[in-house]
Amino acid sequence: MSGNGFLVQAALGVAISAILALSWDILSRTGQVSLGQSAFFGIGAYGSGLLTPKLGVVFGWTAGILICAVAAILIGLVTLRLRRLYFTIATLSFGLSMQVLIVVTPGITGGSTGIMPPVIMGASPPAQLLLITGLLIVSAIVSDIFLSERYRPAFFMIRNNPALAASSGVPVVATKILAFAVSGMIAGVAGACYAGLYGYVIPEDVFTPNWSVLPLAVSILGGMDTTLGPILGALVLRVLEEVARHFVGGAGYQVVYGAVIILFIVVLPKGLVGGLSQLLHKRTRKPVQISRAEAAS
Amino acid sequence: MTSLSVANCTVSFGGLRAISDLTLTIPGGTITALIGPNGSGKSTFCNMVSGQIPPNAGSILLDGVSVMGLRADQIVAAGLARTYQVPRVPKELTVGEVIGVPLRYVRSDRELPRKMNAAADVARFCGLSLPLDTVCAELSISDLRRLEIARALACKPRVLLLDEAMAGLSLADTEQVISLVREVHAVGITVVVIEHVMRIIAALCGHAVVLNNGQLLAEASPAVVLRDPAVREAYLGKGFAP
Repeated sequence: MSGNGFLVQAALGVAISAILALSWDILSRTGQVSLGQSAFFGIGAYGSGLLTPKLGVVFGWTAGILICAVAAILIGLVTLRLRRLYFTIATLSFGLSMQVLIVVTPGITGGSTGIMPPVIMGASPPAQLLLITGLLIVSAIVSDIFLSERYRPAFFMIRNNPALAASSGVPVVATKILAFAVSGMIAGVAGACYAGLYGYVIPEDVFTPNWSVLPLAVSILGGMDTTLGPILGALVLRVLEEVARHFVGGAGYQVVYGAVIILFIVVLPKGLVGGLSQLLHKRTRKPVQISRAEAAS
Repeated sequence: MTSLSVANCTVSFGGLRAISDLTLTIPGGTITALIGPNGSGKSTFCNMVSGQIPPNAGSILLDGVSVMGLRADQIVAAGLARTYQVPRVPKELTVGEVIGVPLRYVRSDRELPRKMNAAADVARFCGLSLPLDTVCAELSISDLRRLEIARALACKPRVLLLDEAMAGLSLADTEQVISLVREVHAVGITVVVIEHVMRIIAALCGHAVVLNNGQLLAEASPAVVLRDPAVREAYLGKGFAP
């Protein structure tokens, strides 16, 4: 593979991680820490992969992503009364059970042998990168909408103190389910991209808990509650991985890679974006002005 | 002006009846004190009428219209707002954002009093002199209390429940909040004050209802209620009542 080819493949991977991380972050702003993004990633991959041959790419993908929304609303209705850790565990088991569902329904889903969805954009990596970058931008815009004055304070209030949110007129249940549905759909987009890129989907590949842990690690590394954080996190994580692979090599690189992530989180608890903005803030902060009265006394 | 009444309400937590077949009316247009010894059901009353803990039985009427079965956010939209004893706001939000949430979300065609139309007006009315972009992490307890009242006021309430809104404040701050409550009342809002400090109640309230064991013990003007032997006994125990 040429140097350029490698860069395009790496960029495709980064874009998919970033989309998935944005989906996780949007949900986490309402206090719902999910370990089930792999479920929506997989549903998006399978939904688009199975429906594209029948409906075409546009409608196949749309239908696959809508299935994610429906699944998210149903799961949301069940889990929204669970607090914190219980919610997280419920989402984790949802991801694992989806894999079993695929394996036991070979007639519809291809079972454990998997499916071969059509490859998108005529299998041309640069064209694929263009499409997936476009989808990343759409996801970033959605993320920014949920950071606007209409949603951000209400989301944070739900996360911090749901009773206070309700007492401020916020329909807590509907808002949490909205966040869950949007998050599920964006994770589904990431899954559809994955299926459309590689043209081969097996349950173990898309429902692996890796797809649940990755967005969490990426968002925390890059900076939660931001749009830039998950995108920057996906990029930096990939660079860290390559650097570790280059200098350590073998399987040992994963240990170094993990250690570096831990180091980052310890040093920058608010993520890269939080750390950078603190740095900028310090630089631009004006020296404290002492008024005459204060100086005299 | 808007009254709040509950009829035959019961709230049970397992075997404990926090509110027991309670019937009472907060008369419209008053500043009413809701008092009673610890565990008498004041906070549960607050949570019950604001939709946080629906009663097991009974009915709740806001100006004669039932609000039973409504969610907390719907009850706010119907015109009943409350403050919390411990103001726990997300520390990363700014003062303006916290006041902005009810301004955006409370669905009602009522208007803010005195032609206030933005978070800045509400903040100023409540004596919050800080810039609106101050994050809540930097607020003092007295500013947090004012912010909590401002947030409730931004719900455009007809009835406002203040759950120990002056707890932990200095004398000077308490005086300011007392005059703020008077102003809130003056714009036509029925106010219910849960308070332990009798001096505040005497200064502020024209009416008082006393709860004990989740039931109505007495209701009258504060001066009369505080002389009531049954009330004194509930607070101090048998033998201490004169």
